[in-house]
Amino acid sequence: MENKKNFIEDIERTLYDIKDKDNSVYREKVGLTEDIVRDISERKHDPKWMLDFRLKSLDIYNHTPLPTWGPDLSELNMDEITTYVQPDAKMAGKWDDVPDDIKNTFDRLGIPEAEKTSLAGVGAQYDSEVVYHSIQDRLTEQGVIYTDMETAVRDYEDIVKEYFMKLVPPHDHKFAALHGAVWSGGSFVYVPEGVQVKIPLQSYFRLNAPGAGQFEHTLIIVEKGASCHFIEGCSAPKYNVTNLHAGCVELFVKEGARLRYSTIENWSKNMMNLNTKRALIEKDGIMEWVSGSFGSHVSCLYPSTILHGENATCDFTGVTFAGCGQNLDTGATVIHAAPHTSATINTRTISKDGGKATYRSAVKVTKNAPYAKCSVNCESLMLDSESRSDTLPVMDIEGDEADIGHEARIGRISDDAVFYLMSRGIDENEARAMIVRGFVEPVAKALPLEYAVEMNNLVNIELDSTK
Amino acid sequence: MAETEKKVAYSSIPMRTWRWLGINTAYLPEHIPETTPIENVKNIKVEPGQTANVTVVYRDEQRAEIHADVGDGATLNLIKVQIVGSDMNHVDSFDVKAGKEAHVNYTAVEVGGATTEAKFNIDLAGDNSSADVWALYFGDKDRSIDLNYVITQRGKNTDANMQVRGALKDKSQKIFRGTLDFLEGTKGSVGRENEEAILLNEGVRNRSVPIMLSHEEEVDGHHAVSIGKMDEEKLFYLMSRGLNLAEAQRLVVDASFAPVLDRITDESLRTEVSDYLKGRISDGE
Repeated sequence: MENKKNFIEDIERTLYDIKDKDNSVYREKVGLTEDIVRDISERKHDPKWMLDFRLKSLDIYNHTPLPTWGPDLSELNMDEITTYVQPDAKMAGKWDDVPDDIKNTFDRLGIPEAEKTSLAGVGAQYDSEVVYHSIQDRLTEQGVIYTDMETAVRDYEDIVKEYFMKLVPPHDHKFAALHGAVWSGGSFVYVPEGVQVKIPLQSYFRLNAPGAGQFEHTLIIVEKGASCHFIEGCSAPKYNVTNLHAGCVELFVKEGARLRYSTIENWSKNMMNLNTKRALIEKDGIMEWVSGSFGSHVSCLYPSTILHGENATCDFTGVTFAGCGQNLDTGATVIHAAPHTSATINTRTISKDGGKATYRSAVKVTKNAPYAKCSVNCESLMLDSESRSDTLPVMDIEGDEADIGHEARIGRISDDAVFYLMSRGIDENEARAMIVRGFVEPVAKALPLEYAVEMNNLVNIELDSTK
Repeated sequence: MAETEKKVAYSSIPMRTWRWLGINTAYLPEHIPETTPIENVKNIKVEPGQTANVTVVYRDEQRAEIHADVGDGATLNLIKVQIVGSDMNHVDSFDVKAGKEAHVNYTAVEVGGATTEAKFNIDLAGDNSSADVWALYFGDKDRSIDLNYVITQRGKNTDANMQVRGALKDKSQKIFRGTLDFLEGTKGSVGRENEEAILLNEGVRNRSVPIMLSHEEEVDGHHAVSIGKMDEEKLFYLMSRGLNLAEAQRLVVDASFAPVLDRITDESLRTEVSDYLKGRISDGE
């Protein structure tokens, strides 16, 4: 069969690329200094312990070198980044109270519609501040808390103080320290013992201001026997200056609890996405990650799970699509730190049009985790030779009572498979499209229906038969 | 930090990752020279169309290097057996460039030494060239084994096969880094990498790093790793046939090692290695 080139169009971004006028009421000076950190803290009415925490994080940031591995981050110049942009809006509990220009943005992204039809609560962050938060009364009556982080620091200070950046401490890496110094916005979820939140909660993060950073903090605590599904969405319009996202997600899943954390990340291609996500799972707890990485110029994203209690389990499903000008370094880490813990990691990466996709992972089984089981499967599809696809998994196993399997594959769309489908009457373009959709299907089926549809729409296939 | 600064880097993986995993760089053991003495450097040139069969046995502490140039249509069959004493350190490297339609068949047995640092770089530069690598390691007591294997696929239609078998016992530890690197232009190439690691005691530490890099669409790369203790059903079956646990374990390890050991063409050497391993696997049971 003639060797034909696949052409897969770029992700359709029109919806996400609409720029709103920057109507911010306050924009911090560019750069990162102690005065800036103190100013952010004052504007947020932080308690003293939080100001101290920010200043300590700044000191760690200043003394921590850039990572010596992963994508080149030299393009990032913190002297050109604004760490805090306050939109012209106060946090609203009613959608109608959100200012029109911001409301229109979220309307276009379908957030209020989703709230009506399929969500139990919604948070919407615009630049550095959460502008809208809602939760169904029924959940509030059951003791579920879903609010913005600033409100949580004020109203649930003891809980926040106990958990905030304990799982991702500022000395973890340079951008965790940066986050600790300038964090702003984000969501706080607390699900009390035994409560099942059956309909998902969703927070949507939108960064509109050019040259700005977004540093939202998400803290979720699911108490004993409780369950929750949290969805995170992110997007930004494209500018010709670098934007930075250095968020932090900390998830605490207590005994017998269950948490599903789904993300569709579609940042614009001027974004450096250096996000840190970590979960601590206690006895019999279940953690499920669903992660779709489509946007950004550079991404470093490796959700990490610590299986801390006996029989704790983790399931990670991820898809990464790296197109022109993108360097997406994604994967996952799992640490087995208790007996009879188990994990599965299942990823798909696609690279095209000069894009670079790297799958990076670590599975560590500590001495006190006998009978650990872990299965890793990563598959990569390359659509042209201008692109790169690399896999770098590490397994570190202490002790003999472990059962660890890893499998990876790199390849192209099989001519035989296309030929077979064509022999069944399917035209060539559709055959190739079907193969790509089938390739990402394990992720699509783990997503809520409307996200699965959106993801399939992101992949639009054309065939260039000129070669 | 001061201790790290004293260490001399010996090899590193082509793409770095998290430092906390401790696998980015391999360091020279103490008492090993920082450069290879001339008498320990071996150069092999296989003329086009010719076949060379070379067996190298390391029995004493040393740092060694082998460089090979395998001409178009030539074949190099290289067998390396490392059985240095348990109080010695061993460091060696193997660099080879394969021409058009050249074949490199490499068998490596890494079973001796207190500390082993071994690396190879096979450059499949010529179209239709191939590398078939079979390696085994065995660690017991406090032994440390550090392997860094790289096959670079440069020519068109190259074929790389890397099969590694190993077992760890007592408090031994091992790092295996195996890289298949598909460069741009290596169209039609295939690469397979497989490691099976058997863990025999709770005191062992196993690190496996199967890396696959690709800058070419028209390739088929696959790697797999399996790490765990022995299959209990196999052991149960063997013990139901009258073997004790140690004998049953030895038989299972023997079966895993057989595809590598069978490639040692010198029968007396193969018997020597096999007997040496049997003694080590059973020792202390």
